[in-house]
Amino acid sequence: MEGGLQPAPEFSPALQRPMKKENDLTTKPFIPSAAVCALFLATQANAATVTGKVVFSGPKPVVRSIDMSANPACQRAHPTPQKTETAILNPNGTLKYTFVWIKSGLPAKAWPTPTAHAEIDQKGCMYTPHVLAVMTNQPIDIKNDDPTNHNIHPLPKINQEWNESQPPKGDTKTKSFPREEVMIPVKCNVHPWMRAYIAVVHHPFFAVTGDDGTFTIKNLPAGTYTLEAVHETYGTVDQQITVGANDTKTADLTYKK
Amino acid sequence: MTDQDKDPVVHSSLSKPLFISSALLLLSLGWALYDEVYGTRPWKGYEARFAKVYSKYLKETLPNELQSETQIKASPDYQDLDRQMQAAEKSVMPQVAEIDHRVNLELVPRSLALNEPFQEVRGHVGALTYQIEISKSESSKESMRKEIEELKKEVHTVKLPTADGSTEKLPMDFATMDQTLQKWKAEKAALLQKRVDLLKPATELRAKRDKYLTDRISDVSADTLNGLRNKMSIFEVGIRQIHVKDVDLVDRCESCHMGIEEPVTLTKEAMGGEEAFISHPKRELLKVHDPEKFGCTPCHGGNGVALTSIEKAHGYNEHWLWPLHKPENLEAGCQQCHSQEIVTEMADTLDAGREIFRLRGCMACHRYEGFDRDPDELSGVNQDIRQLTQQKAEWTREIGFSTTKGDNTPDNDQAQKFYQHANDLKVRISGLDAKIEQDDDRARSLVREIKKVGPSLKEVRMKMHKEWLPVWLKDPHAWRPGTKMPTFRLDDGEIRAISAFIWQSGVTGDLTHQLPGDPEKGKEAFETRGCMACHSMGEGDEKQGGTFAANLSRVGEKDNYDYLVRWVHNPRQRTLPYCPFEKKDITAEDYKRAGQPFVFDLDHDKCPNDGHQLLVMQMTPMPSLRLTEAEARDIASYLETRKKDGFAYANADFVDDPSLKARGQFLVRFYGCAGCHEIAGLEEEQRIGTELTKEGSKPIERLDFALKGHDAERDGWYTHKGFFEHKLLNPAFYDEGKEKAKLDRLKMPNFNLSKPEIDAVTTFLLGSVDPNIPSRYFYNPGDQRRDIIDGWWVVRKYNCMGCHQVHVGQTTVFMTLPRYQDPDWKDQRPPTLIGEGARVNPQWLMSFLNNPSLTDKPEEMDRDGVRRYLKARMPTFYFSDGEIQKIVRFFAAMSSQAAPYIADRLEPLTDQERNMARQLFSSEGAPCLKCHATGDAKHDAHATAPNFLLAKERLKPGWARRWMLDPAMMSPGTAMPSGLFREEQGRMVFAGPTPASFNGYNKDQAQLLVRYMFQFTPEELTRLRASAGASQ
Repeated sequence: MEGGLQPAPEFSPALQRPMKKENDLTTKPFIPSAAVCALFLATQANAATVTGKVVFSGPKPVVRSIDMSANPACQRAHPTPQKTETAILNPNGTLKYTFVWIKSGLPAKAWPTPTAHAEIDQKGCMYTPHVLAVMTNQPIDIKNDDPTNHNIHPLPKINQEWNESQPPKGDTKTKSFPREEVMIPVKCNVHPWMRAYIAVVHHPFFAVTGDDGTFTIKNLPAGTYTLEAVHETYGTVDQQITVGANDTKTADLTYKK
Repeated sequence: MTDQDKDPVVHSSLSKPLFISSALLLLSLGWALYDEVYGTRPWKGYEARFAKVYSKYLKETLPNELQSETQIKASPDYQDLDRQMQAAEKSVMPQVAEIDHRVNLELVPRSLALNEPFQEVRGHVGALTYQIEISKSESSKESMRKEIEELKKEVHTVKLPTADGSTEKLPMDFATMDQTLQKWKAEKAALLQKRVDLLKPATELRAKRDKYLTDRISDVSADTLNGLRNKMSIFEVGIRQIHVKDVDLVDRCESCHMGIEEPVTLTKEAMGGEEAFISHPKRELLKVHDPEKFGCTPCHGGNGVALTSIEKAHGYNEHWLWPLHKPENLEAGCQQCHSQEIVTEMADTLDAGREIFRLRGCMACHRYEGFDRDPDELSGVNQDIRQLTQQKAEWTREIGFSTTKGDNTPDNDQAQKFYQHANDLKVRISGLDAKIEQDDDRARSLVREIKKVGPSLKEVRMKMHKEWLPVWLKDPHAWRPGTKMPTFRLDDGEIRAISAFIWQSGVTGDLTHQLPGDPEKGKEAFETRGCMACHSMGEGDEKQGGTFAANLSRVGEKDNYDYLVRWVHNPRQRTLPYCPFEKKDITAEDYKRAGQPFVFDLDHDKCPNDGHQLLVMQMTPMPSLRLTEAEARDIASYLETRKKDGFAYANADFVDDPSLKARGQFLVRFYGCAGCHEIAGLEEEQRIGTELTKEGSKPIERLDFALKGHDAERDGWYTHKGFFEHKLLNPAFYDEGKEKAKLDRLKMPNFNLSKPEIDAVTTFLLGSVDPNIPSRYFYNPGDQRRDIIDGWWVVRKYNCMGCHQVHVGQTTVFMTLPRYQDPDWKDQRPPTLIGEGARVNPQWLMSFLNNPSLTDKPEEMDRDGVRRYLKARMPTFYFSDGEIQKIVRFFAAMSSQAAPYIADRLEPLTDQERNMARQLFSSEGAPCLKCHATGDAKHDAHATAPNFLLAKERLKPGWARRWMLDPAMMSPGTAMPSGLFREEQGRMVFAGPTPASFNGYNKDQAQLLVRYMFQFTPEELTRLRASAGASQ
């Protein structure tokens, strides 16, 4: 896969269908009839939103300081020692860096690959963000903002593994993953504490919780789905939800331990 | 009544019988014609159907191929290449045309025309020359010489064609003709060469353009398809056969199996559901085994000549002895040529069958050529020693007699003869001594190489609880599912007798009493030192680990702690050494009598009684993990906790009953236990089973189906395959219904094989035949491939593949253990050995295999010499010299390395270069020292790669450079990243920031670093560490 070869080709134009924008009345001539009203409602089919938060009600996670003394260049970047990111409990009792996605229930279709690049940076010898969610074949820019050499070594089970070195302040690497996989651990062999997770999904209905532990998934078509939260330490928690065409539903996912 | 009326000719008619006869004859004719054309020629139908289906398939796939081909041909890159090629051709066209004109229209026809008269004269001259040579008179010679002169001077009018089609007449004599022809020949050659040179760039571009196309089409090109379509359009029904005359091989399989050799991959669906038309699976095999030379039946069996019915062609009718192999036994055909191998590429089932035969110990009862030669060789060697020693004794006596006779005889000359005879004998005795020495040397290797399938039973008294023995003998498989030991059909009386004999024949010795260890630490060690690459733990779904050695889930129920500690610490340790020459165990008394201390190990391995080679190690393949005694205690303590709850053992005091011993020994001999186990007094027992080397060729009548014969015929398994399968499933099967005494019944125990295992072993046995093809077909290489064959036997013997990848695509046991799926533990797996021959210096490898800790200090031996950061331990196997040589040559051959290895001479570094390399190594941009060990304890706690100091002795510089450039290609998933170097103006440069000293250096930077690495010294490393610390 490496060595300058072309990345996997994008879906052919025949398979790509642009997502219909809601309220797209401008493309339709206004013909008064009930059929149009039905049609109007049908065009609003992808307008559901699911929001919520990932609650954690177990014992307080153990957070340790990372010993970077073997790598002074990394240690210098942290005036106070860097804490581990394996389980970050937000002040409001929610979990940070939890990947939330629609696991099943979507119609079988090809969702268009976004052209916007996702980004993961190496700063202070830590990966930012700690959990990155992308779509299949979406380009991911990998940057090295540190004064030290890093190597990026994703360890997927479904996609192909690779391992490349990146010099300090070196050129951005752009990579992508062609197959859906939740989640791919990424590590750096030079700095063994560094860890990130990349979730690759074939559809765009996912989110990663931040400092407030909330997630929002928009433009969902109507239907019944399994909503799942995935956390690197605490595993998975899921829930069934049903949304109508225009609904805004709230679903909280709770980890009990 | 008139006379006419009485005449039968008048009133009786034969028309009815005639009519019936003709009708019958007509029917017969019709039937015969039908049979001749179709009935007994079903292959005609097959061929007709194939032609139809195949043509249809070609028509349908062709458009798809064409489309992708059209797409590629329309792509800008292809168009570009095409344009370049055409431009190149066009630019030289005029000159090429000119050359063609000159050569084809002028030189060639003119040369042809001139040649005729020239040859005429030359012929005449030749004839006259001959006459000169045979004539006897000088004068006739002279006259003939003159005649030749005349001939040569004669002027002929030669008619030569000109370029414009007319003819010109030129006068020429012989010499002129000769010269002209030579001139024209030279000119033609020169012009043709010039033509090639002119077209060279265009030819290269054409090849490049075509390659662009073929690189992007995976299956067949449109050209090939078109060719195939044309072939099918002129298709004719006819017998297709392979005839190899010198082996009398006629195979007509292709008359029905028409798709086998087609260049297109044909599937069953594509061929309208007819399985007969598919392509040969694993087509690469046909490239190695050309069907035109090998035919089909040597590998597949069946009747190659038959065409009248499928049953007959496949050899499934009653009278053909070698039926077609069924799909699950397909690889049996490989064995007759590849009989020396234990691993054959692309023959997985056969390899599995061979490995089961070897691992489960079939050869302990059944002789099989090639398996388990070592014990036979050791007996042979000892036999030789005995013979030579006896010969020596005889001759020594004779020396005495001769000398005495010489002393006493009256005649001096006679005395001299006797003395001379005595001296001759003395010299010859020293020759015998030399032979005995060589035998002892060979024995020294052999005692290290011989392994037994099961553990030594000499140690049972110290090793286990006596109550366990009868439980085990009753049904080993019930106590430990998946065990190697088969289940014998023993009644309780037999079990008691055998247990008693085994117990009483065991040795007793000193076992150091061991303090208890820590089971928690032991569990961790058990799971990380590498034990699980051979041993498994857990039963059923929870079973994890390798199946090469025993499952240890219940070992705490049977073993003594003290013995377990000794075993885990060093499994090769024995209580008493064994002398194969005297065929007995040597005790402390023997040593005392000889005045030697009671010490026996690899350095003290000679028998005190006769000086010959002792067996000082257990005959187990289990190696020493070089554990500390504390760790051995921890692991043993953990293993002692492995028990099944609630299992009660009955009292077994009867094992001490001496009256049972004799019967026990008889039964142990009877059932052949000594084939797998080392048992006191029975070390030289012979195999009790029948030889299986040619079992597949045994005439079917000689396979004893007993009372099952009729069932077999009725149900269709009266074949070798049927016999083997039923036997392997239940070895007592052919005793069913028989009225036999216990001791007359079949002895073979039940190995509890699963269906795939039975298929594998059956495949192996079906292939074990007396070959019916000449020996030149056998795979018997004399070059490096022989080393590969020999090496595989050693690799299998010690289960290298449990820890290491040896084969591309192979899964090791480590890869299946759950702990090693974690990203942090992935780098803790033992290194791959693919390409090991290309990577390491074979001399170094020999010393490594001899002692993997790479140190002589006993207190430092509990470590891996190369990768100290690995928790898994490369064990010490105590290989014999022969085994080490085989392994090293194996790896060299697998990587096609020349032997012996001559290291490249690396240019010494200039001071400037050394400075540059130092600076780069210590710079922030180079991650080398972050992962590679430096010898500093604090740093090495996080190291994940070997120390560079090892490079000079261990690695090959060529490999080191290739590795640095792209490790992920050579070992996907390795911790070392790719992309550290990039290409710039034909050389490799470091991809990160380089120190200022690198400016202006225009040589290959990767090679610079390799040279630096290979000239590393400990002082250099210290300097690097210091400077690395400072800059960081």
